[in-house]
Amino acid sequence: MELIMSKKYKTSLIISFLLMVIALILWAVQIHYGLILTNLSNLFSWGFYISGLAFFVGNAAGGLVLSASIYMLGLKELKAFARLGALSAFACVTGAMLIVLPDIGQPLRLLNLLLHPQFLSPLIWDVIVLNCYTLLTLTYFYILILPDLTGKLSFLAPKKISDPKAFSEKWARRLSPLALFSAASIHIVTAWIFSTQGSREWWFTAILAPDFLSVAVFAGTTVVLLASALLYGTGEEHTAAYKIMVKIILGALILHLFFMYNEIFIKSWYHAESALHVLKILFQDYLWLHLIEVIFPVVAVYLLFKESVLQSQKKLVATTILLLLGVFAHRYLLMPGAYNAVPLSFLPLGQQAIGPAWSYPIALGRSAANGDLFSAHWAYYPSLVEVGIFIGICAYVFFFIACVCKLLPVLTPTAAAAATTTTTTTTITKSAQ
Amino acid sequence: MRRGWVIDLEKCIGCRSCMVACKQHNAGPRGTWWNRVFTPGSSEHMIPSPQGKEYFLPVTCQHCKNAPCVRACPVDATYHQSDNSVLIDYDRCIGCRCCVTACPYGVRQFNWEDPEKIHAREEQSVPDYRYGYPREFYKDGRLVYMPVRYKGITEKCHFCVHYQEEGLDPACVRCCPGNARYVGDLDDPMSEVSRLIRDRDGFTLIPEKGTDPSCYYLPPKRKNSIEDGAEEGAENGANHE
Repeated sequence: MELIMSKKYKTSLIISFLLMVIALILWAVQIHYGLILTNLSNLFSWGFYISGLAFFVGNAAGGLVLSASIYMLGLKELKAFARLGALSAFACVTGAMLIVLPDIGQPLRLLNLLLHPQFLSPLIWDVIVLNCYTLLTLTYFYILILPDLTGKLSFLAPKKISDPKAFSEKWARRLSPLALFSAASIHIVTAWIFSTQGSREWWFTAILAPDFLSVAVFAGTTVVLLASALLYGTGEEHTAAYKIMVKIILGALILHLFFMYNEIFIKSWYHAESALHVLKILFQDYLWLHLIEVIFPVVAVYLLFKESVLQSQKKLVATTILLLLGVFAHRYLLMPGAYNAVPLSFLPLGQQAIGPAWSYPIALGRSAANGDLFSAHWAYYPSLVEVGIFIGICAYVFFFIACVCKLLPVLTPTAAAAATTTTTTTTITKSAQ
Repeated sequence: MRRGWVIDLEKCIGCRSCMVACKQHNAGPRGTWWNRVFTPGSSEHMIPSPQGKEYFLPVTCQHCKNAPCVRACPVDATYHQSDNSVLIDYDRCIGCRCCVTACPYGVRQFNWEDPEKIHAREEQSVPDYRYGYPREFYKDGRLVYMPVRYKGITEKCHFCVHYQEEGLDPACVRCCPGNARYVGDLDDPMSEVSRLIRDRDGFTLIPEKGTDPSCYYLPPKRKNSIEDGAEEGAENGANHE
């Protein structure tokens, strides 16, 4: 909590604000010149931005995991982190919606999503569930902070509630199943955007939605752990709660690795040419990134089980960031396997002796580096504009959480000191102002 | 009525006239090709693959009955017309590229930058010359063709909808020097296209994707080359005839 008042805090706010401004400028430039400023092409038509969508949607699960753990599993130790969980969920889900915007070729026509929705499209379902989830996390957050909306903040509190603490407790409990349901829905529906794409061997699998859920549980919890490490620090009174979070992360990570390798195993066992093509992309072209997506989270979780890491703020922050880098590598790897395996691939008539299957070249819509206008392969890597905008969204998530923590009573003392909650938080709020 | 194509691979000589005619008539921006012709099995067009069985495969929008692009579009910008052909409303498209990803045939083309900018940048012998059907075309009140496309929207073959009312066949059909392309009603068992598909074992591309395309291909006859002579009997089964 001491961090909120420190110089470091102010510097980090300024830096993240500048990064947001840079991203906004980059987006404006991209609107002017078109998506030619990305390194995408007709062959590889989604990249960093859509990986970012999957990344931030996954990270938004933290609020759900905590509220479900507290109110449905009875893990009272986590109660002090419920507000931060709801807040991080809100920041991440709005970040997810923001990062889709630069991927839209005609952003001014976004209203068409409301005016002419086509309800067979999973993208429309995603727009609906992401917006519902945003409203719900906002409501949930408000209910959680309600008891502490006193003093200068009392204008935010409704007048008619006589016992805000009991009210907050009652409704947080009542809403938690709904929060669980809607949080699950954002991961499932986002996965469906990919897994309904029957033309893409890499995505067209029923395992994708369960896998998105498992990734979301450990990525979302990691985000809460990171935010807690930054804002609460690593005092002994938090260790018990952190340990529970680490256990949740471990369980979901194991589930994710099982889902992923289960899919890879079945694909490689059947040995169909189309599946082997996808696996070749993963294990040959992108082996280094695959190692990152597996090794980073595994090593991070191993470290998180060490007391020394849980008790050192620097180590804890570094470890959770390592884990999130692994998650982002996983999200990035959604793309190459889907796009560089051209669906229109076949053994040419009468040429079965030649093999392997031949891929029909696609008109790229822009010149490749070697001047090709048609190709069956596109060596995608993000452009500086794409990276800059992505970093800007990360900065937004940080900036938003950090600012709200200063303005509203988010940081409550741990469960042990819960009895004195109200007074302490009020003091913090006052000194923050 | 289900408007469909039949492309006779026996007659296709790989000249790419259909690619050029399509681009000319539909004002295709640089780098954008609604229609492609390649030599299957070979990395270079018109250069036979090592085994020497050379044939050419034109691919354009397959106007699928079960079109994944139509299902994926969040704003109903791409839709089935009454004759089953798949059109795009250029005024509606938001440029999310769900359809580009959904299409297994790789026919959907995105305008990564403003086509007018490309036009200004490229060296032109006659600066203000613009090829292509010069007017916007609305079908059922929806903008399905425009000579200069918006930046950031998706486009593709529209079955030359702007010529249909005049009773003209698509540009690629009219220009084909080998008369390799046929267009007609796939729902009518007596139509020429239906008869060709029936009599000559018409097939569709990657049927395992379940898209039910409206573009059928007639397999090429076996070519007689010197090296083939000896093994003629052994390979007969491979020719889909």
